[in-house]
Amino acid sequence: METTLKVENVTKRYGDFVAVNNISFEVKAGRIFGFLGPNGAGKTTTIRMIVNITAPDEGEISLFGDKISPQVQDKIGYLPEERGLYKKMKIAEQLRYFAALKGISSKIADQRIDFWLDRIGLSEWKLKKANDLSKGMQQKIQFISAVIHEPDLIILDEPFSGLDPVNVETLIEIIAELKAKGKTIIFSTHLMETAERLCDDIILINKSRKVLGGTLREVKESFEKNMISLRCFGGDKILEDKRFVAEIRKHADEVELTLAENADPQELLKELLSNGAKVTKFELVEPSLNDIFIDKVKEKNA
Amino acid sequence: MRKFFAVFKREYFKIVKSWSFLLGTLLVPIIASMFAIVPALLFSLNGDAVRLIIVDQSGTVSTRVKTNLSPEKLAEKAKLAAEDSLKNITQGQKAQFENSAEQFGGNFAFEDFDFQNRQIDDIRTELNERIKKDKLDAYLIIPQNIDGKDIKVELFARNTSDIITKKMLEEAVNTAFRNQRLAKANIDEAKLEQINRKVDFVTTKVSEKGEELDSDMGFFVAFAVALMMYLVLTIYGQAIMAAVIEEKETRIAEVLFSSAKPFQILIGKLVGVGMAGLTQLTVWLTSAALIAAYGLALTKASGFALQLPSISPLFIVYFALFFILGFFSFAAIFALIGSIAPTLQEAGQFALIPVLLMLGGFYAMFPITRDPNSTLSVILSIIPFASPMTMPTRIITETPPFWQIGLAIIFNLIAIAFFVWIASRVYRIGMLMYGKRATIPEIWKWIWQA
Repeated sequence: METTLKVENVTKRYGDFVAVNNISFEVKAGRIFGFLGPNGAGKTTTIRMIVNITAPDEGEISLFGDKISPQVQDKIGYLPEERGLYKKMKIAEQLRYFAALKGISSKIADQRIDFWLDRIGLSEWKLKKANDLSKGMQQKIQFISAVIHEPDLIILDEPFSGLDPVNVETLIEIIAELKAKGKTIIFSTHLMETAERLCDDIILINKSRKVLGGTLREVKESFEKNMISLRCFGGDKILEDKRFVAEIRKHADEVELTLAENADPQELLKELLSNGAKVTKFELVEPSLNDIFIDKVKEKNA
Repeated sequence: MRKFFAVFKREYFKIVKSWSFLLGTLLVPIIASMFAIVPALLFSLNGDAVRLIIVDQSGTVSTRVKTNLSPEKLAEKAKLAAEDSLKNITQGQKAQFENSAEQFGGNFAFEDFDFQNRQIDDIRTELNERIKKDKLDAYLIIPQNIDGKDIKVELFARNTSDIITKKMLEEAVNTAFRNQRLAKANIDEAKLEQINRKVDFVTTKVSEKGEELDSDMGFFVAFAVALMMYLVLTIYGQAIMAAVIEEKETRIAEVLFSSAKPFQILIGKLVGVGMAGLTQLTVWLTSAALIAAYGLALTKASGFALQLPSISPLFIVYFALFFILGFFSFAAIFALIGSIAPTLQEAGQFALIPVLLMLGGFYAMFPITRDPNSTLSVILSIIPFASPMTMPTRIITETPPFWQIGLAIIFNLIAIAFFVWIASRVYRIGMLMYGKRATIPEIWKWIWQA
């Protein structure tokens, strides 16, 4: 598989503050790459280096096998986290301008503007000024500006923040469509459920360092399946036994428990049954990305 | 280059297509023309002819007065006056001019009045009555004796504040009297014409470069030029600053910087806004020249002599050149301020620095027009930030040696290169810093940061 982006041992400092510390990763062509981490982890700084807004102090970044250059920049679409439009400019004009900056003639841009405005359902706003649009609408317009030049690599910094659930769904659909067209997509988020639904690969960074990375599958599998979803009647004593259970979370008619270190789930089940508990559900569950995220971030911060 | 043009195009058309630009570009000449043309037009377009009766008791001058007030004679006079002020008039201007001159001329309607054997008081009572009934506008009473001392010609009219008509009548009567007296002294008409022929009065200024035609209006033109420069530099300098801050406040900078080099964007912005300013200046200057030519000719035709200053095409070139130089040096400063300040309000405080610099250059014009070749004037017209206003002032009052103009251009170019470089260094980093104003050490670091 072709490598679209390669980040090698990149470090960025602002004075004494290390914003990005020796981070490396690769993004393969045609995949959706999730860039995960809590606020202030260094996601935006890393993205800014990728799109050549700032330069790394150490390390190297290559795109499409090349160093960054104006030609390479034209192949990238970027939706920054901090977003805005020219307040008094008409929507069509702004998009035409952003397209021109990427080297797209206004004739082609006009066709694509019509297509995209229609796709996101804002056609009737084409000749309105940005000021007249709601925040969410403006955000969707900005998304168009990131894809209007049909870039091979699309980088979206927190694309879902500020969107209502309907628009989140629309955006997820569009991202899937873009992937189907062979585009590579990198997006940063701290919404783990969305990341879990969309991503092929992920990287998790915290406090300017890479915590883990790989395909979503690999990441999940690298975590032991030490969680059990259980529905049973009786056997409460066993569940309080620290030899088996480290933590227990009670839900409506189920409990979710984390096994104690080195505890064998088979032993636990046996123990429950022999104590006369009536077990209707006993499932070893894979940790969610959210669990991994919280676990890893807590571990680091501890 | 392609990206530079994209930015340039947007910045240029954003301004040129805006209402405020259209309004400013058109309103200024319109208002200016009101001051120049409207009074002249108002004087000339006085509508109906003046119904006039000449009570010539001497019986000898009235024919001459009537001839002097005839349309042909008046038109000829107006044309002469106009040609005097407009040395080179185009065919179009000429035609336009003859029209208005004829308008002046067609202003009198003579009415017959038989006053033989009537008392002067009686005549006046009757004519006054006619004026009251609006059957007559004015009448002249010329005494029997026209040769003695203290001869009085009396004008009775409904409207005595029409100075143009008054002046025309006065001139016509005086010329008629003079000619009649000369004729009485046996000087024939041909001789008279020769005697009356006007001489041209030409002022020549002697400067280091030799003899040059002088214009009384030099100071006013210098003032207008400096004022125009000051206005346009302030307006467009601040426009740059506002545009930079808008892109910072709306965070558009980030999208822009991911598309093109900050340097390309900054230069595109400066050139785009600068050309918009130059467009406006061109419209203003062209209309000012047209208005001045037309208005001066009109006023002169109606009897007010004003000398049109001679502005050479070379001066226009210099003016445009110094505008461009001034624009870029100040625009770089304004862009720098825009990159540092987080909001427009805060930028406004810093903007005082370049605005004061400009005001300084503007006021320097006064000592310079008084003594354009003093050491102070030479220095003021060469140093960057001042020279865009002071050098055109000097050129129009007394063209300095070329090496001084050249030096001013070189110094300005160095200053522009320096400040544009600093501005672009600060711009590329400052534009991504949100919320707080940068300190001097921080800015210093940005300049040198890779």
